[in-house]
Amino acid sequence: MRPPTDAADVVLACGEVRTGLLPSFQPLDSRAAAHLLQLRADERVRVSERPQLYALSPDTLTGVDCRLPAVDGAKVRVVGTVAARAVLTEGRVLQATAYFGAPASGPDRRQPWGHYLVRPGLLEPFGKLPEQAVAKGVLRGPQKGDLDLGLIAEGLLGQLRRHPLLDQNAPFKSAGTRLRWVARRAPDGEGPSITRFTLAEDQLRTVELRIPAAQEASAVAGLCEDLALHDWLLTTVVRMLDTSRLGAVGGAAAVLALRPAVDHLLHLWMPTARVDRTLSPLWEVLEREPGFSRQWQTSVQRIRDQLALQAIPLLREALASR
Amino acid sequence: MIVFAASDKGGTGRSVTSANLAYQRALAGDDVCYLDFDFGSPTAVAVFDVPAAPRGDGLHAYLEGHIGEPLRLDIWRLTEHAVLRDKPNGAGRLVLFPGDGSGGEFATDQDVIQRCTDLLLRLNSEFDLIIVDLSAGRSYAVDMALEVTARPEMRGVETRWLVFHRWTRQHVIAVSGLVFKEFGILEAGADRGHDKAVLRDAIRFVRAAVPDPESPLWSHVSPAQSAWMHACDETLRRLAAEQGIGDSRVLGTVPLEPVLQWREQLITDADVLSTQIANKETLEAFTELARRLTDDTYWGQL
Ligand SMILES: Nc1ncnc2c1ncn2[C@@H]1O[C@H](COP(=O)(O)OP(=O)(O)O)[C@@H](O)[C@H]1O
Ligand SMILES: [Mg+2]
Repeated sequence: MRPPTDAADVVLACGEVRTGLLPSFQPLDSRAAAHLLQLRADERVRVSERPQLYALSPDTLTGVDCRLPAVDGAKVRVVGTVAARAVLTEGRVLQATAYFGAPASGPDRRQPWGHYLVRPGLLEPFGKLPEQAVAKGVLRGPQKGDLDLGLIAEGLLGQLRRHPLLDQNAPFKSAGTRLRWVARRAPDGEGPSITRFTLAEDQLRTVELRIPAAQEASAVAGLCEDLALHDWLLTTVVRMLDTSRLGAVGGAAAVLALRPAVDHLLHLWMPTARVDRTLSPLWEVLEREPGFSRQWQTSVQRIRDQLALQAIPLLREALASR
Repeated sequence: MIVFAASDKGGTGRSVTSANLAYQRALAGDDVCYLDFDFGSPTAVAVFDVPAAPRGDGLHAYLEGHIGEPLRLDIWRLTEHAVLRDKPNGAGRLVLFPGDGSGGEFATDQDVIQRCTDLLLRLNSEFDLIIVDLSAGRSYAVDMALEVTARPEMRGVETRWLVFHRWTRQHVIAVSGLVFKEFGILEAGADRGHDKAVLRDAIRFVRAAVPDPESPLWSHVSPAQSAWMHACDETLRRLAAEQGIGDSRVLGTVPLEPVLQWREQLITDADVLSTQIANKETLEAFTELARRLTDDTYWGQL
């Protein structure tokens, strides 16, 4: 993975993405989206309208000098900055990511802040980085005193949720999801790969990746945001189907429960629409197992069937009253 | 919607009643969470029958900024209560955010307010109903609730207050003072930017553990005792009306329930229908109160 500057090569990148529905009755248009995500005055929000409305904030930086989460008792102190950014898709789904890259080793002494500030999103270890112990530690989650990427991501989400543009009146209730990811450098000459994707309890997912040296950590963050977005869509729609109690309750209740999916979610499914081309093959791995699009198509079909069934009595009524 | 539960004193039945309301709403299909903001005496873990009191990872630690995420307990999954174990078909989620045993109040500080606001906004997008149990009296928790709900970013979030009290002279006077008198909730709310009239209209009272003179519980008492109880009840009604907490401001009354006198717990259908240890009237009072929480005809301007 390429470092953001001419610093030593990044061998490990880690991040956490939090995904949820924007707390607003109406989706935001591109101008409002840009306004919401204007986290810094000196850098513009990137907005594209095709194939979907997509807005990406500039990175904000948090300076840290702390321990990284690590397993096997490894103690890894790092200094540098964690990058955080937010994404809004179709003015509807809001995501925040906190992430960093780390080189195989760093200076034995702490440098002046100027050194770290010209390497945004890079955390340098004191001495050698125990890559594997840190990768596992990040996926397991921080312990007391460790760097907490989730806290930084959630802090950014919290700040955005408070924005005066938002009326706190989302069209339906839904839970957010968290996705933790780690990307280690792929052996030279090998392409990107997904080594593991898990659905842990409590809306938590973890992903382990191998990424070629030429990729930037921000591109990996983009891939993981795309994964998190689709995982959230699937999770949310499946939950709506579960709670609508198809068949168990009267048709009107099921329609009320499922209607928001049609109005606000179904058109958002567009895997890899924005992912860096060299990383998009990774999506195909997930299509085989757990088979995201297959599950999605099944859910969409169930929703459509249900709504179509409910329409029959209305149609009959309309015909009868002619 | 957020519902804050306050009371004039400890021991009124606030925690047990509000936990039962959360349970009833979840049974009815709502996604409900219950936040234990009674940091001095967090009891929700016991009422919902979940094991292991949290240590340093509950709401108190979150608000103080020690942790990024307060512990959340999925009641249907974690409870040791045999009946609650099987989430009934069609029930919504029921999630408890326990307080910490660490107790104590906080230094009033804008960071705490900010974290509280962020948490409530987040939960508001996830849950249909958020019930917040506040420590008794004009406590720090009450002030925090008033301060947070006065903030502009909370404007779009509907908020209601339940104020619990027992059915005795002292409680009626104390609870009226808590809301209406100098240094009361209305005044404290106005100081923080609430419109006093709007706040008043978002407050309803709940009379808890009220002995009903007509109840079979008292069928064995003498005629003199019975007459005395009726007279007392009547006097209290008059006193309540004088104190501004007459029937129109009451959302409901929960009868004195022997099971709850013995044990802080949720009252289930099974307690009434199969084991028959609890009174039908108690369960009905809880379901009706739960229903009225969101029935607008019981709320707003009088
Ligand atoms: N309706 C009721 N009938 C009888 N006892 C009750 C009733 N409601 C609550 N209690 C009991 O009163 C005591 C105090 O209730 P609790 O909810 O803990 O009060 P608070 O939260 O106001 O301090 C508990 O032992 C509880 O079980
Ligand atoms: Mg209590």
